Amino acid sequence: MSEISCDEVLVEIEHYLHGELDPDRSMLLGEHLPDCPPCFERAEFQRKLKDIVRVKCHSQTPEHLVAKIRQAIRIEFGRSEPEPPGGDRVI
Amino acid sequence: MAQRARDDDLQRRFEQEALPLLPGMYSAAYRLTRNAADAEDLIQETFLRAFRAFHQFEPGTNLKAWLYRILTNTFINSYRKKQREPQTVSDDEVEDWYLYSKMSEEGMEPSAEAAVLESLPDEDVQEALSSLPEQFRMAVMLADVEGFSYKEIAEIMGVPIGTVMSRLHRGRKALEKRLWDVVRERGLVRD
Repeated sequence: MSEISCDEVLVEIEHYLHGELDPDRSMLLGEHLPDCPPCFERAEFQRKLKDIVRVKCHSQTPEHLVAKIRQAIRIEFGRSEPEPPGGDRVI
Repeated sequence: MAQRARDDDLQRRFEQEALPLLPGMYSAAYRLTRNAADAEDLIQETFLRAFRAFHQFEPGTNLKAWLYRILTNTFINSYRKKQREPQTVSDDEVEDWYLYSKMSEEGMEPSAEAAVLESLPDEDVQEALSSLPEQFRMAVMLADVEGFSYKEIAEIMGVPIGTVMSRLHRGRKALEKRLWDVVRERGLVRD
């Protein structure tokens, strides 16, 4: 018989799915879920929902943005650079 | 000369280690600002601030969390003021397992439920997340899109872990409610 109740499992599933339970607790849930279809279905639904949000919320970075940032860093770097004696700056 | 060598090394390390994190950070910036132009500005400002502060960053510690902290702080200080905040959600009315229950009430099989959500256009899901109040949006975005741990989110947002857990729980519920609204608006279930 499971050492953890369905009520406890349902409260802790969101932490379980995020890998935030300590190992003992995580093992208890891991043992409970395959034996309990109602909890298992909910856990699977929640896991898929989390995946869907992660995958769908990524926006493509505009290609020119990396170049812009590199340039901004170079300008900033040049600004903080001490002027070498003789005046010729080597970038 | 030694100073110069150190600066060169800093710039090289910054470009090698920080720039590869740009794609995730751009998505995060987009979710926060809710438009491409502001997201680009926010990212540029973030990377410039990060570069200026990079000599204070302790190598071997969590660079990703450090950068996201600068991102969220820059957003709060520079962009939030000019944005109209979404209406706060009356999330206390949203019960646990909201979306699962609503979809089950439609008589759907669990696999069909996931398929309906998968069929939503990306923009709808992004809009649902973006429509959450800022603190919830940030917590859910950092946890469920960017994959940070609760502890990392606590450091990024500068709040205790308990606060992170509460914001995440409420934010996820509020997101479920928004997603259910979208599913209905799209006519993906019988009303």
